[in-house]
Amino acid sequence: MPAVSFEHIVKRYGAVTVLDDLNLAIEDGDFLVLLGPSGCGKTTLLNLLAGLLEVTEGRITIGDRDVTDLDPKDRGLAMVFQSYALYPTKTVRGNLRFGLAASRLPRDEQERRIAWAARLLQIEPLLDRKPAQLSGGQRQRVAIGRALVKKVGVFLFDEPLSNLDAKLRTEMRLEIKKLHDELKSTVVYVTHDQIEAMTMATKIAVMDAGVIQQFGTPDEIYERPANLFVAGFIGAPAMNLRPATLRLAAGRVEAVFAPGAALDVTDYPFAAAPEDGMAVIAGLRPEHFDLKGAASGPLAGSFTLPVRSTERTGSDATLYLAFAPDHLALRISPDRAGGLQPGDRVEVGFQAGKANLFDARSGRRL
Amino acid sequence: MSQISVSERAAGAGEVPVSRAPVFARLRKRITPQSIAVLVFLGMCALFFCIPLYVVVVTSFKTMDQIREGAIFALPQVWSLEAWDHAWNRACSGIRCDGLKVGFWNSVAILFPSLILSIALSMVTGYALALWNVRWAGTFLFVLFICAFVPFQIIMYPLIVMTTTLKVYGTLWGVALIHAILAMPVLTLIFRNYYKDIPTEIMSAAIMDSGSFWRIFFEIIVPMSGNILIVILILQITSIWNDYLIGVTFGGLAGQPMTVNLANLITISTGTTNYAHNMAAALLTAIPPLVVYFLVGKLFVQGVTAGAIKG
Amino acid sequence: MAPRWSRIAPQLALTPALAVTAVAFVGSIGWTVYLSFTRSRRLPDYEIDWSEWGRQYDRLFRDAGWEISLRNLVVLGLGSALAIVFGFILAAMIDKEKRGESFFRTVFLYPLAVSLIVTGAAWRWIFNPTLGAQSFLRGLGWQVDFNWLAQPDTAMYAIILASVWQSAGFYMALMLAGLKGINSEIWSAARLDGVPLWRVYVEIIIPMMKFTFITCAILLSLGVIKAYDVVVAMTNGGPGQSTWVPAYFTINALSAKSNLGYASTAAVMMLAITFVVFIPLVALTAWQQRKREAAR
Repeated sequence: MPAVSFEHIVKRYGAVTVLDDLNLAIEDGDFLVLLGPSGCGKTTLLNLLAGLLEVTEGRITIGDRDVTDLDPKDRGLAMVFQSYALYPTKTVRGNLRFGLAASRLPRDEQERRIAWAARLLQIEPLLDRKPAQLSGGQRQRVAIGRALVKKVGVFLFDEPLSNLDAKLRTEMRLEIKKLHDELKSTVVYVTHDQIEAMTMATKIAVMDAGVIQQFGTPDEIYERPANLFVAGFIGAPAMNLRPATLRLAAGRVEAVFAPGAALDVTDYPFAAAPEDGMAVIAGLRPEHFDLKGAASGPLAGSFTLPVRSTERTGSDATLYLAFAPDHLALRISPDRAGGLQPGDRVEVGFQAGKANLFDARSGRRL
Repeated sequence: MSQISVSERAAGAGEVPVSRAPVFARLRKRITPQSIAVLVFLGMCALFFCIPLYVVVVTSFKTMDQIREGAIFALPQVWSLEAWDHAWNRACSGIRCDGLKVGFWNSVAILFPSLILSIALSMVTGYALALWNVRWAGTFLFVLFICAFVPFQIIMYPLIVMTTTLKVYGTLWGVALIHAILAMPVLTLIFRNYYKDIPTEIMSAAIMDSGSFWRIFFEIIVPMSGNILIVILILQITSIWNDYLIGVTFGGLAGQPMTVNLANLITISTGTTNYAHNMAAALLTAIPPLVVYFLVGKLFVQGVTAGAIKG
Repeated sequence: MAPRWSRIAPQLALTPALAVTAVAFVGSIGWTVYLSFTRSRRLPDYEIDWSEWGRQYDRLFRDAGWEISLRNLVVLGLGSALAIVFGFILAAMIDKEKRGESFFRTVFLYPLAVSLIVTGAAWRWIFNPTLGAQSFLRGLGWQVDFNWLAQPDTAMYAIILASVWQSAGFYMALMLAGLKGINSEIWSAARLDGVPLWRVYVEIIIPMMKFTFITCAILLSLGVIKAYDVVVAMTNGGPGQSTWVPAYFTINALSAKSNLGYASTAAVMMLAITFVVFIPLVALTAWQQRKREAAR
């Protein structure tokens, strides 16, 4: 039985439909990330699950209970907010206790849970301080603690790391993941940051414009994006998306970009038989290119293109090759990047079996 | 006071919070002729504002003999407390001649229930309208906004009937009740605007934690209301203490606040008017809110501008 | 969707306020409006003679006292508008000069803390012809006629003076807040352009403070329509009826003349005047507010 399920969810604000017939099932113990750009509906979906918003149509179940009509506090959920939302006039202990006191637990059980959460999150020395006296990272821990003490099965996170600086963000990512592994609870996590998604999730639901574009494991999302949106959204630098035409000849299938520039895609796992002349968009990840002489395996094709510019970021380098109408982005090692000047012609090969093909009209994966 | 031009904003003024570019900190501002002219003008205006207070104070310490000499701005030759004593203990208001102390204690007695009633009601109403999803909240707020401007006279008679039916007409409780009713629209609007500024996520967290309307109110919202409560208290204390019309309409003979006593004293001219007594009485009536003003002046400004702009 | 407690609880909590609004405000207004069409005297008479339903209104419009009240309302309004001008000048000076701001603010604002009865009492004393300011000024050799309260033509001006004294500080505070909202770079730019100071105020600053001015206008008109206490303390409507204002007229009709129907009519007219003044000003404010939001 799924831990959380959304069935035919419709959410309308007057004439505007934000979510239309959305279905999603989350298994027990999953760390599900709702990933997408601002306005895609991920926060709306989270708030519907939390009960802070009401569905226009549809059903939400948690475990075996239909919670669609229940108040948030009766759903057995806990939530961590982007701005931490700590009660400013209460101490850390008071913040942790507030939700428990409402649940009518005996006093000693409350204290035990508070102590347990404080130890787990290393906030014991802070218990008598007020939120104004805490740093951002400490506040975030208290916010998580407030959720933990409720000992529920499902935790909701609404972009909790957005307000932290980069270093803290990395630390907290690890901590949240560690907590998830230890407590084995179900997590629904909203973010627009794909790094958070890729590193923490067991399942990702990529959303855009209120529709789930793809639902799968991080590997699936990355290796086999289901449509152009997902392909362009995941990956940094972004996947190169180039229009091409399929040519079938003598038992081979080729994706032709321009005369002399083509890739062999005969072994591509097409869902339906490819047609000659079909307009496609080929998605080529920057890290699947090899510079001439450094091929790591069989190549599907090669191109000779002039260098436009290089970008070095210490441990990485990106090479931009001019390729009408704009460019191709490649990931190369920083040493090679040093020897290349704008204007140099470079021969690069694309690794076999790594291409993604999408229908040029519908954007869907072929 | 620092010479750096950092300005104290009267908060709640409702103006666009445009961030000022950093003003150059001049350690010593040149004293230009323009500055002097401005300061002289402001000084003369200050004098104009202080004259009535000065006159009242000075007259209240004079004897009637000296007053008859006619030098209104002169200091008392003999500083006499006779006027004060008379005003407090023996001044006549209507048929009763027990002094303004009667009115003083009446005003105090009116103040407490009125404050508690009006603030309690408005606080909860403002909270419900600001932080909870009530479909007709917008309409109700609009109606409250209109009610805040309605002149008292249009509801005067029906209120008289209602207080008579409730058997509080002519008592201190009646006056207190009417003050609470009349203040409700403005205070609710002020509380509502204040609570609207509370970050939504704190309410969301509280709803997920507890969800109880009253628990959230008492444990989270009320502790956060300190600032606005002080401002509202000052606003209401001043407004209720200084009121005349409600006191005279609903107080009858038993529930006269101090302002009514004072008005009776000044306007009813039986025999010769003793101006020293009148001024002492006026001063006695003015001292409590003036004390509040001078003690917590800045908050006072906030309170008055809040009441004005929000209303 | 099944009703949730979280939806019911706030609505329950709102019922007292709803009840008060419905009964004490809306209901009462309706009641008074109804009474204005009746012939009620000391006690309410709920029968309306439909052939003469506007009788009280006819009487009112022909009543000399009411005409005086309306005229005084306009005079008081215009005169009190001086308080806004005065307040602006004070605020502009304090804002420019900055030295002594705290002191001046305290001095200019203290009249607000004082009851209008006290204000009226103090100024009435100052206007005393034999023992007050007039005698003092004449003693200095200034043959001035300061006995405004005793003459019907000038009594209103005395009341205006007292009102301006009371409220100028308040408008000053509002203006000061408005001035502080103006970006200091505007002043620097004007100085660089070499624009004379008065032009900066007239052409740039005042237009930028439209919102503040409109707010002050709203508050002023409300204060003027409600004016009662200060009239009681200074003149009690005299000499004769020369300082009657609508609020005074209405209360007089109820308490002194015991004519409930007539008083209700006057009250309805007061409400009408309030709305006539209030609605365009508030609409103007809302329009200004919307313009400002759009510009952000």
